[in-house]
Amino acid sequence: MARDLAIDLGTANTLVYMKGKGIVLNEPSVIALNRQTGEVLATGREAWQMIGRTPGYIVAVRPLRGGAITDFEITERMIRLLLQRVGVSRFTRPKVVICVPSAITEVERRAVTDAARRAGAADAQLIEQPMAAAIGADLPIDEPVGNMVIDIGGGTSETAVISLGGIVALEAVRVGSFDIDAAIQSYVRREHGIAVGERTAEEVKVAIGSAEPADDENQAEVRGRDLMTGLPKTVILTPEEIRFAIDDVVSSIVSSVVRCLAKAPPELAQDFLVRGMYLVGGGGLLKGLAQRIERETQVPVKMSNVPLEAVVLGAGHCIEHYDALKSMFMGARR
Amino acid sequence: MLVTIIIIVVVALVVLLVIIGMRRRPRQDEGMQNFRRHIDALSPEARREVHDRARRHEEGRN
Repeated sequence: MARDLAIDLGTANTLVYMKGKGIVLNEPSVIALNRQTGEVLATGREAWQMIGRTPGYIVAVRPLRGGAITDFEITERMIRLLLQRVGVSRFTRPKVVICVPSAITEVERRAVTDAARRAGAADAQLIEQPMAAAIGADLPIDEPVGNMVIDIGGGTSETAVISLGGIVALEAVRVGSFDIDAAIQSYVRREHGIAVGERTAEEVKVAIGSAEPADDENQAEVRGRDLMTGLPKTVILTPEEIRFAIDDVVSSIVSSVVRCLAKAPPELAQDFLVRGMYLVGGGGLLKGLAQRIERETQVPVKMSNVPLEAVVLGAGHCIEHYDALKSMFMGARR
Repeated sequence: MLVTIIIIVVVALVVLLVIIGMRRRPRQDEGMQNFRRHIDALSPEARREVHDRARRHEEGRN
């Protein structure tokens, strides 16, 4: 008998929680395929290391973009392999709870559940990422108080106000940390005339990327391909440049938080001033982002203790208390 | 005769209404119980187990 699973099927990373065991898998959502035969060559971390470094016959792809499945067949194969890695076989079919962006369309929802069922799940239920994040971040959502959670993932940023176990207000944008990487890539190409890969752009973001100026800032040396000569070239990037490059993306995230605050009922809005908002997700780790949101909203922002695992832990809690919490699943409410 | 039939019909209707009322009440209770169970399952005590498991996982990784 298979143990039931909770899956955070993120644009950047996929995490799997097994009932009674905890987090059993945490890997990048990447799959490497042989372009000619369609054969899977690697998944997860191994496939991630291949991005931008593959020969012509291999393609390393992220089958999810903006939290949605862009290639159904590849996603299904990736989920199947991930389930196999945690012990699911055709004879052991577990119940699965999958975290998805709240702005997901009906078609996208069906694509995720179909992919999970075809990959070996007996039953696949969906839960909104901000709700799962609030449960996983250990916010007191069982109380009649306003809890606000900001989940910034690879492809989506979602802000939700939660009270008494339900979502009161929600705001989602299909913008996330991959858009920050893309903005850096495009800036370096435009201003310095060199092409850099997405992994290099991510490294730059982690090293010197920030949403607000700080005291201890350093420059970063970046190597890429000169667009004019085609030769390798090194340039120095400053934190100010990167802040300028990513400002549109950061502003779009902050604006969605402001819109969500405006949607909250006044009784709950006053709770935020006392309790603050909680930031989760990998994108929330961008330096100075909490301070930027705090400055623009005048509401304190706190970082979750488990920013990267909050969503899967919340979904894991739902799988542990499946019967009591099944009304939270997306199909149950629509 | 007519009076007896009317009385029987009225009594039957009352019994029917009582039965419907009794059937409805548990359903309302059920709603409250489900909501209670839902809220209890989200309490910090209920969530502690999952967080302890995550902490152990984190410690194991370090």
